[in-house]
Amino acid sequence: MKKGIVFDIKEFAVHDGPGIRTTVFLKGCPLRCSWCHNPEGISPKPQILHTPIGTRLAGEEYTPRGLADLLNQQATFLTENEGGVTFSGGEPLFQADFLIETIALLDEIHLLLDTSGYAPTQDFARLAARVDLIYLDMKSLDAQVFRQYCGGDLAVILANLEQLKTMSTPVVIRAPLIPGVTDSIQNMTAIARAAASLPTLQRVDLLAYQVLAAAKYPLAGLSYNPGFDEKRSPQIHGETFDKAGIPWRVV
Amino acid sequence: MNERLTNLRQRVRQRQQTDERTTPAPDVWAECEAQKLGWMQRSAQRTRRMCEAERPVIWPEERIVFTRTIPETPPIYTESQIAEMTRGRILHELGPISNICADWGAVLADGLLTRRRIAQAARQRLADNPEAVEFLDAAIETIEAVLGLAARYAEAARAAGRRDLAEILEHVPAQAPRTFHEALQSLRLLQAVVWLSGHYHVGLGRFDQYMWPYLWADLQTGRLDLPAAEELVADFFIALNKDSDLYPGVQQGDNGQSLMLGGVTPRGEDAVNELTSMVLRAARDLSMIDPKINLRISTQTDLELLSLAAELTRKGLGFPQYSNDDLVIPALTAHGYDLEDARNYTVAACWEFIIPGKGMEVVNIGAVSFPHAVDQAIRQGLRQNEDFDAILERIRTNIRDQTEARLADYRKLFLPPAPYYSVLMDGCLATGRDLSHGLRYNNFGLHGAASANAADALAAVKRFVFEEKSLPPAELIAALEADFEGYADLRDALSHQAPKVANRDALADEMLVFLFDCFADACEGQPPNPRGGILRPGTGSAMYYVWLARGREAMREPVVGATADGRRSGDFFSANLAPSLGVRADSPLKVFESFSKIDYRRICNGGPVTIELSDSVFRNQEVIRKVAMLVRSFARMGGQQLQINSLNAETLFAARQHPERYPNLIVRVWGWSGYFCELAPEYQDHIIQRCLYQMAE
Ligand code: SF4
Repeated sequence: MKKGIVFDIKEFAVHDGPGIRTTVFLKGCPLRCSWCHNPEGISPKPQILHTPIGTRLAGEEYTPRGLADLLNQQATFLTENEGGVTFSGGEPLFQADFLIETIALLDEIHLLLDTSGYAPTQDFARLAARVDLIYLDMKSLDAQVFRQYCGGDLAVILANLEQLKTMSTPVVIRAPLIPGVTDSIQNMTAIARAAASLPTLQRVDLLAYQVLAAAKYPLAGLSYNPGFDEKRSPQIHGETFDKAGIPWRVV
Repeated sequence: MNERLTNLRQRVRQRQQTDERTTPAPDVWAECEAQKLGWMQRSAQRTRRMCEAERPVIWPEERIVFTRTIPETPPIYTESQIAEMTRGRILHELGPISNICADWGAVLADGLLTRRRIAQAARQRLADNPEAVEFLDAAIETIEAVLGLAARYAEAARAAGRRDLAEILEHVPAQAPRTFHEALQSLRLLQAVVWLSGHYHVGLGRFDQYMWPYLWADLQTGRLDLPAAEELVADFFIALNKDSDLYPGVQQGDNGQSLMLGGVTPRGEDAVNELTSMVLRAARDLSMIDPKINLRISTQTDLELLSLAAELTRKGLGFPQYSNDDLVIPALTAHGYDLEDARNYTVAACWEFIIPGKGMEVVNIGAVSFPHAVDQAIRQGLRQNEDFDAILERIRTNIRDQTEARLADYRKLFLPPAPYYSVLMDGCLATGRDLSHGLRYNNFGLHGAASANAADALAAVKRFVFEEKSLPPAELIAALEADFEGYADLRDALSHQAPKVANRDALADEMLVFLFDCFADACEGQPPNPRGGILRPGTGSAMYYVWLARGREAMREPVVGATADGRRSGDFFSANLAPSLGVRADSPLKVFESFSKIDYRRICNGGPVTIELSDSVFRNQEVIRKVAMLVRSFARMGGQQLQINSLNAETLFAARQHPERYPNLIVRVWGWSGYFCELAPEYQDHIIQRCLYQMAE
């Protein structure tokens, strides 16, 4: 069995999808978004966090069986409350094999994959087919901005978008609004176009940037250099989505 | 809220009513001495003289009147006289009867004139029973005093050109209310005089039940529509906040003005009505500390109602507090309550289940300190090289001893006569018996305090000393005696690696259940109290989470030093049913799972599971509904009582630094809510700690 590294399991998660959910945060991410709100999720290895109320280890090893058992115990509660399990990160697809094995052991339960879409298409397709809902991050569709702020190759994301068009899993596009980086009208228009091309699109969520992320960096021994003005509030171009007939909201 | 209400609320929050407190208290003691009156007569005399002395206050924007102008309640005996008269007896807390609930519905419906007729008839019938005659004369005197006060308010209203108010006050509380407005005014006056008479923790009971017929009738005839009715409820609630700083309590806000909503009727039908949600809305919009809202729920409670309740929680007031009918009603019937009465339960000041009009119960005779029981057993048992079972046996004995000691004191309880309060109860007038002689239910209640800390300490010993044998007994004892000075590593292990309640740990939960089983055994083993009542074990701590850790003058309960859960001497315990402070427990689910294991058929005095949610949880209506589902899950999982706090750590820190900027910040303390900046620093610290470790975001 493949083991996985989980850096947090949050119960009573109320902002991570429909109903009351348990969110599993898988450790490790191939990207390096400058605004990342889970810096402790980036490195794939366990690490010690220094918090104001003591140190804490982030990153625990689970077997698929161990994790599935834990989640199955909550299945009734989660289902009764119109919720389920959300896999988030880091980037959950970074541990695709572990996730596939875990999901195979789960009882009937609503599953949500919260992903940046930054993974080999084969992994993306396997997992997307096994969950009930995908939250797909769409940061910037400008290859250069994406490389500069997230440290990745946009082509990977575009390939997965193509893949998604052929699938039946419902999708919510989640666009973080980073002032001066992703909130431009050009980017929003591109996102609206991409979103409209997805036959299973449910809506677009615009994520207003949380300044709070800054507080978490020192805990993980990192410094926070967002490379943008975090005090500015982002522009919200809802009209772009209205024009395209796409339901959207700010969360 | 309309402009009038906004202004009125503002006026009360600015405490302008305190400017009215200019009437000197009558010297009731001297008058009573001169007339050589006995205790019963003195009680009536105080009620009458206070009513006579009160100067009517009518603010132009008010629709429900009564404002205290006499800030203090004059004594009827000197302290030395009381000491003399109660030699060999004890008084509960301050002495006067407190923390019970009147039969508001019946009193309102009768009106005081009917009550007076009942008293007069009984007086004729019982003419050769001097005790009854003395009581009934006293009761009649108080009734007339309230009628006199109402008449003077009516006159003042006329003089002020307020015909609307004058007509109401000429009718109630003398007679049954003809309208919802009259019912509210009647209740305001009747309840205010209970406070004037020196009683405290005066609860309002099942408000949405006894008030509903009046509202219903007004809605039927079209005299009121829903918004107009809600406005009146808001008026009434604002009035309840006017004098609450004068009411005695451990801290500002601890005044026990609780109000119950929802549940079932005495016949077992769903009791939720239009007024239930109206009260929740009014309390939400007002955001004031009074009244303290309670909601009875079950697995069947409608999510919409629970969502409305969650909106109130979002305000950060720390209420509503939820009680689960599915567990409470059977527990009460198992303890000798008639089914109809059990279905009619409300809560006392904090959470204790009582029956309106029929209970002369003393639900807080003290606390059993679980940490003390566990700590003594650990220190003594380990010194004697005992095995774990012997330690458990010591705990069992200690809990029984503490229970007996608390009850022994209360066998000598003296309840002073309370003629006016008796007027408001079920049957006192007809039988000619003051309520201090007892009512239908005369049970005592005892808090089982700081259970999570005690269970954690016991589980740590079992795991480290007995199972893993990684901790030599002598080392643990030395560490406890040194208050962990020089034992930082051990303390860290006990605090962070040992099993903990609310962490889905079977061992810690087993210890928790063991403690409450011992407690239930101890209470069930006691002979009835002098009024024939039983002793009800509870899960609350009240202020004992501080007192048992730090001591308190004249406290009967034992104080504990450092404990084996890694807690240092003087550090607080957790309040009610909550994970120990410093234990990371950000999953409400885990908290529910642990505390649902307690056998609530036996543990029936109340005491809520307490969880903290970050105020950021309540972002939108969708999430409000999820909080409602969480509450429903609590009922489904078999929880008895629940209190949810909505907190924000940053706001609390800021409020401590700049109290002047946060005059309206309200927090739940133990069974009640108060203004954060008006609390003593140790209570503020406790809340901040809860927030840091145990908040779900
Ligand atoms: S993809 Fe998500 S987890 Fe990875 S760096 Fe970006 S924000 Fe952080």
